[in-house]
Amino acid sequence: MTKPVELPQGTLEMLILKAVSLGPLHGYGILLRIQQISGERLEILQGSFYTAIYRLERRGWIIGEWGESENKRRARFYSLTAAGTRQLKTETAKWTDMAAVVAGILNKKANEL
Amino acid sequence: MSLLAAIRKLWHSVAPRTRTDIEEEFGSTLDAYQEDLIRQGLSEEEARRKAHIDLGQPAAQNEIYRDAIGLRLFDELRGDIRYGLRALRRNPGFAAVAVLSLALGIGATTAMFSLIYAVLLHPFPYAGADRIMNPVFIDEKHPDEPLWFPLSKAQFDGLSHAAPVESSLGFNNAQMEITGSALPEDISGIYLTENAGTFFGVRPLLGRNIEPYDADNGGHSVVVLNYRFWQRHFGGDPNIIGHALEINHAAYTIIGVMPRSFAFNDSTGVGDVYLPGSLMQGLFNVPYLVYFPWIKLRPHVTLAAANAALGPIVRQFATQHPERFPNHWHLALQPIIVPYQQETGRTLTLLLAGVVLLLIIGCANCSILLLARGRTRRHELAIRTAIGASRWRIVRQLLVEAVVISCTGAVLGVAASYWLARLPLLLSPDSFPAESVIHINAAILAFSVALALLCGTLFGLVPALRLSRDDSAGRALGRQIGVVAASGKHRWSVLIAAQVALTLLLMSTAGTAIRSFLQLIQTSLGYDPANVMKVGVILHAHDPGEWSRIQPREARTAYIEQIREKIASVPGVSTVAVGTDATPPDTGAQRVFNIDGTSNREQPQARVMLVDQRYFAALRIPVLEGRVWNTDENARGDFLAVVNHAFATRYCSSSNILGRQLRIPGLTPHNRYQVASAQSTAGRQIIGVVGDARNDGVDRPVVPAIYVPYTAVIPNYAQFFVRTQADPLIYLHSIRAAIASFASDQQISNGSFNGTFTLKEAIEQDTQYSRQRLFSILFGVFSAMALALALAGIFSVVAYSVAQRTSEFGVRLALGAPRAHVLWIAARIALVSAAAGIVIGLGFDGFLGAVLAHWMQSTFAAGSLFGAAALLALSALLACLFPARRAIAVPPAEALRHE
Repeated sequence: MTKPVELPQGTLEMLILKAVSLGPLHGYGILLRIQQISGERLEILQGSFYTAIYRLERRGWIIGEWGESENKRRARFYSLTAAGTRQLKTETAKWTDMAAVVAGILNKKANEL
Repeated sequence: MSLLAAIRKLWHSVAPRTRTDIEEEFGSTLDAYQEDLIRQGLSEEEARRKAHIDLGQPAAQNEIYRDAIGLRLFDELRGDIRYGLRALRRNPGFAAVAVLSLALGIGATTAMFSLIYAVLLHPFPYAGADRIMNPVFIDEKHPDEPLWFPLSKAQFDGLSHAAPVESSLGFNNAQMEITGSALPEDISGIYLTENAGTFFGVRPLLGRNIEPYDADNGGHSVVVLNYRFWQRHFGGDPNIIGHALEINHAAYTIIGVMPRSFAFNDSTGVGDVYLPGSLMQGLFNVPYLVYFPWIKLRPHVTLAAANAALGPIVRQFATQHPERFPNHWHLALQPIIVPYQQETGRTLTLLLAGVVLLLIIGCANCSILLLARGRTRRHELAIRTAIGASRWRIVRQLLVEAVVISCTGAVLGVAASYWLARLPLLLSPDSFPAESVIHINAAILAFSVALALLCGTLFGLVPALRLSRDDSAGRALGRQIGVVAASGKHRWSVLIAAQVALTLLLMSTAGTAIRSFLQLIQTSLGYDPANVMKVGVILHAHDPGEWSRIQPREARTAYIEQIREKIASVPGVSTVAVGTDATPPDTGAQRVFNIDGTSNREQPQARVMLVDQRYFAALRIPVLEGRVWNTDENARGDFLAVVNHAFATRYCSSSNILGRQLRIPGLTPHNRYQVASAQSTAGRQIIGVVGDARNDGVDRPVVPAIYVPYTAVIPNYAQFFVRTQADPLIYLHSIRAAIASFASDQQISNGSFNGTFTLKEAIEQDTQYSRQRLFSILFGVFSAMALALALAGIFSVVAYSVAQRTSEFGVRLALGAPRAHVLWIAARIALVSAAAGIVIGLGFDGFLGAVLAHWMQSTFAAGSLFGAAALLALSALLACLFPARRAIAVPPAEALRHE
């Protein structure tokens, strides 16, 4: 098994947006989806998980609707709103940019300077 | 989509989710996780434990949710407020006293300031009221008696065109009678120059003002109604404009109704109706058309400049009519507010000082309570700190509690101010200009509320700050639980001393005010008002046939005498006298006279009173020298007069007064209703001197007066002074019947000028009397409030400190301390502070005594000061000892278990 990765601050919300963008999910489903996509490498702090969901919902980026889960239970399903889609796009672009810049700097060799 | 649905959607997008919603969602997640764990092989019990450890408790989830969406501060604040309210409910006495202190202070201060503003600073509804002047001239020999002066039309126009004058108003009061209906009614009319509309700048309630074109053709027959008259006579009929009103047998058209706040004018008498001044020409039989002027100065003209510019113009008038001016005089423009300021200003200022004291005492009281309460709460706060409350959290909680108290007090205070502001007008309507409408002054309300809030907040925070200075919370905790002697440092002791000193100040001022009122009641009036009633009668001017019968002077005298005899025949009536305009305490008309034929250019003035010979007996005015006239002389009316003692001392001090001759040139008919005797202006021999009876108001010194037989000039009305054996009003019905038996349609009138009322009522209507009564009531109420507040403060402080130190007292008693000693310890600090306050207050009062005495124009009574001090000391002692008794009432064992 590969080494678990610790999540930098503020990225959890981005990941939740991404997870929900693939289709409506309930809270536990989002958790599982993120772990599944990351190849079980992300250890999400369970306590902060719902805080992030509440905040996203409050900002209007995701919207929750009560529905029925796969094992016939009542559950609250979240889906991305239009504002959430836009937010995910800008966040993704920002993250990619930053990652590229940081990676570029870190990968420089002494003779390339 | 319906509007309701839209609103619901909006609400759902804004409103936080409910607790059950949050918990259900979290529960479903927990269940799902738990099932996964069981699938991975954990037992059900282990799975539940792990799920709770990893994800958290469902019960805590709502808090996490509200924290996440930023509602936490709001929630905590709500908790603080709830806690604060609960704490107040636990200590209802504390809460009530603190809240009431602030409410009383705020309410009284705001009400009194609003009153002063309405009465002294802005009582008139007129445009540019602060620039309107009342020109008077001041006789330099008697500078305290400013004299109004009438102007002829030409003089009035001359004054109006002077440089500093923007515009001027001429007016003249006249008694009138409404005719044409079954009952004649006497009313007061005021003729106004036709620029009245623009001069006053007051929009009529209905219709229009008198306008310049109303002067055309000798004056249009139109009237504008005073609001109160409109209410009284027409029942406030909104369709009255255009209707006719018959006054003195002439038809007038009603063109307007003035608003309630317009009551021109208080100095010479408020008019029921206002008429174009040009109409006077046809009605008055006087050599010069008389106008009393009001002048509106141009903006930015100083009073001194205006006096300097107008002085020479008025001097010109003096050369035209030297007989109307004394030798040495100068012109003075008086702002129209001056009469009220002179009469009311000082006392109102003193009252304002009194209520500000009350506000300070109220704030101090609230502060004392908060400080004392803060001490008892150190324990609680220490525990809260010990279990991890942040300092900010504690400060915030105390702040919230203090704000809850202050705000409740402020809200009640605002409510109280509305009620209190109306109180003085209810108690004493005569002391204030009829026109002043009292509004709550927003600025001062804001000021007192802000002061109260600041005070509450500041002192509410002291315990929090002190707690943080007690470097470790644990130490405070320990000290609290253990038995500690009083630290001796009590901030509130200073406050108590200050409060007691201020209360004493207020009480002694109240004592002075009440004493000067009692003096006023007890002053010798010079006449006996008990069981005397004035009955006013308007003679038949409305019935042309009847009027022509009593038009001749002899017939009119006979008619009046017959009515007099009919009244005298009523059983229980002992004396009936006749007079016209001779009702004390403000009697007679100011007239010029000369003595011994001297053609002295400076003409002395005296009140001239037209009465019959029985007047002195009816009012029990003593005859000091000589005699009064007899029946025959009364019928003749000429050649003799009686003067009062003040007249004798001022004008005839050097020689024997009896036998001297005086003339009163003005004793002639002034309108077509009046009839004079053959030689009314001829020389009159002084045949007697009578005692001084108040004739210039209850409180002012008696002015020189000349009594002349009323038959010298008889107007179309008469007044009968009826002395009865018991309360005069019970004879009124019989008197009415007796008059009717002689002249069936002769009415008794009930207006303010010629009405029917007892002489006691006349005194009570005197402005000075009602004002002094009002002030003593208000001061009495204020000082009672202050005393109650101070005592409540002392009481609560002692009660609190006793409650706080119960265990200490228990130990002391258990160790054998005498009860008296424990009692002394419990009450000591409050007692010493109160005593110090009384001493400071006494010193302060002594210092202020002279100032107050000067202001109140009465001696500052040492008696009332020491009386107040003794009362205060006694009640402070009781307020200390009563709660302190609890310190020794508790059995020692129970006291030790107290913690």
